[in-house]
Amino acid sequence: MLGLNSLSKFFRKTIGPRIEALGLLPHRYYLHRALDALEEDDIDEAVRMVTLAGNDKKDARWRLVCQQVIFRCRILVSQHEKQLLRFETEMEIFGKPSELTDTYLRLQKAEEQARDILRNYELSLFNQLNGFKSDSVTAE
Amino acid sequence: MDRKLSIPGGLTGALLGLAAELALEEITGMEIVNGLLAVIGAGFGLIRIDRRIYEATVNLLKRVPVEPNSDYRDVLEQIDEMSLELPELRESFVKLVQAGIEAQKA
Repeated sequence: MLGLNSLSKFFRKTIGPRIEALGLLPHRYYLHRALDALEEDDIDEAVRMVTLAGNDKKDARWRLVCQQVIFRCRILVSQHEKQLLRFETEMEIFGKPSELTDTYLRLQKAEEQARDILRNYELSLFNQLNGFKSDSVTAE
Repeated sequence: MDRKLSIPGGLTGALLGLAAELALEEITGMEIVNGLLAVIGAGFGLIRIDRRIYEATVNLLKRVPVEPNSDYRDVLEQIDEMSLELPELRESFVKLVQAGIEAQKA
């Protein structure tokens, strides 16, 4: 029992990630990992796992998990857009030459970057879902 | 066959096992018991993937942000908008809503 556990730990810390990246592990393993990542809002990992699990695009479980990640991406994009709108409104209230303008602009840029990354993920998964080839996110 | 149980033998075995576990944890930095539980948990997760997907769907709905001034229609509208062109997920949401309504009626 002790040996088995040590062996599995050793596997997960050493060659595990490499084998995982090859997509050779059971389909359900990747779905399980994608759901874990989704729960933690680790969208990058969730997209990677869904991509690795996506050998059979007609599989009902894969399609549902893929759509769950897309849905979460959309929710997060909408939150970033709301934040951007809030910044714009506040900048209008404070006026242009303000001490806070630089800070607002930096925050605005960060929000825009986050939104664009999420949109890219969404598009990548959407293309996979509909059977198009996608180059924007690759499983490393 | 007559078997004799030895309490000191059992205690010695348990103590040796504990010492081995602690020594291995000290040397390798691996948490043996936690690791074992994680492996068992992952195993069950693989078997019960459908249950896991269902729970994730419920969790997804729970995490839809609700503005302080919005009512349930706004939330439904938002869900509807966000699930455009996601047919299977929409179907799952509809089933969940129906199950909720039926549970309320019952």
